[in-house]
Amino acid sequence: MRGGEAVDWSATLAEALRANGYEMIAYVPDEVADTLLQLLREDSSLQMVSVTREEEGVAVLCGAYLGGKRGALVMQGSGLGNSINALCSLAIGFQFPLLMVISERGRLDEFNPVQVPFGRAMPKVFEALGIQAYWMERAEEIPRFVEGATKLAYASALPVALVIPTTLSGGKTWR
Amino acid sequence: MAMNRLEAVRRLVRLLDTEPVIANLGKNTYDLFAAADRPQNFYTWGAMGSVSSIGLGLALARPDLRVVVLDGDGSLLMNLGSLATIALSRPANLVHIVCDTGTYETTGGQPSHTAAGTDLAAVGRGAGLSRVETVEDLEQFERVARRALAEPGPWLIVAKVAGTSTTAKVPRTPIYHKYRFMDAIRSKPA
Repeated sequence: MRGGEAVDWSATLAEALRANGYEMIAYVPDEVADTLLQLLREDSSLQMVSVTREEEGVAVLCGAYLGGKRGALVMQGSGLGNSINALCSLAIGFQFPLLMVISERGRLDEFNPVQVPFGRAMPKVFEALGIQAYWMERAEEIPRFVEGATKLAYASALPVALVIPTTLSGGKTWR
Repeated sequence: MAMNRLEAVRRLVRLLDTEPVIANLGKNTYDLFAAADRPQNFYTWGAMGSVSSIGLGLALARPDLRVVVLDGDGSLLMNLGSLATIALSRPANLVHIVCDTGTYETTGGQPSHTAAGTDLAAVGRGAGLSRVETVEDLEQFERVARRALAEPGPWLIVAKVAGTSTTAKVPRTPIYHKYRFMDAIRSKPA
């Protein structure tokens, strides 16, 4: 469990996901999102799907959408790298709306040298894929961003990303 | 002599009422389309390896439906982790059929790892699945498919099939087919 700040933004984000009708959460465990995922897991009305690789999560949530359920994918930035083919030839190609909640790596305070290349590339990856992405800098902005990103994803029938920057989360600790 | 895949898919379709089928890209999609272009068919065109995961998401979202996945060996090899996720999530209504030709058929028939001995049923058991069958002929396939459509799963059926030369011209209209599929299974866009 992380400190007080993590609880604050995590609780706000968990509540915003519930308030916007998300019923299925696919995820790969992540230290930064750990409190968020614990809070979501405590809500028995949510279906939590622990996937082995983020690309699987994209497909699981496309399947959930076929079944009429709204889904969000919670993952680290590197998971976006693992998801690109399914995003292109499934989510975007078929027009599946999908919310991606991404904890950013490779930015301010990063300790792991090999996380830096994708962290640096991520904005351009979004741009290249035509995926709209928003960086949530402050905890109080989260409800507004989740609501807005949800409207945008379902209006456009496309994936939309919300990024949790290291400046909000405090990043990952080396252990 | 392995069974003919198109004939196996025809037999599967005859067992179905309104169950949705998620079909892997390439030959599985072509054979399903050739067997019957049902509105409950979801044809994929890319995202190789993803049909088991799409089926899982649909099965979890819609426990009222029996969801059939028509996968290929090369594709499942690309997403073996999905077997562990299915075993963890335990959707009783998921029937995952792998048409195992031992080849990357859509790209020209190059041998896949199953031709050299990788046993996808054993991989499934190792991932934690218990309702796992390997079938070698049409009668056995039909018998096991009938059981899988009626009894709780999740099921993994590895069907040893011979590739077919089907090149059915499935309309390349993924977005239209997505909405047709959702209408047919009575799902409203979330």
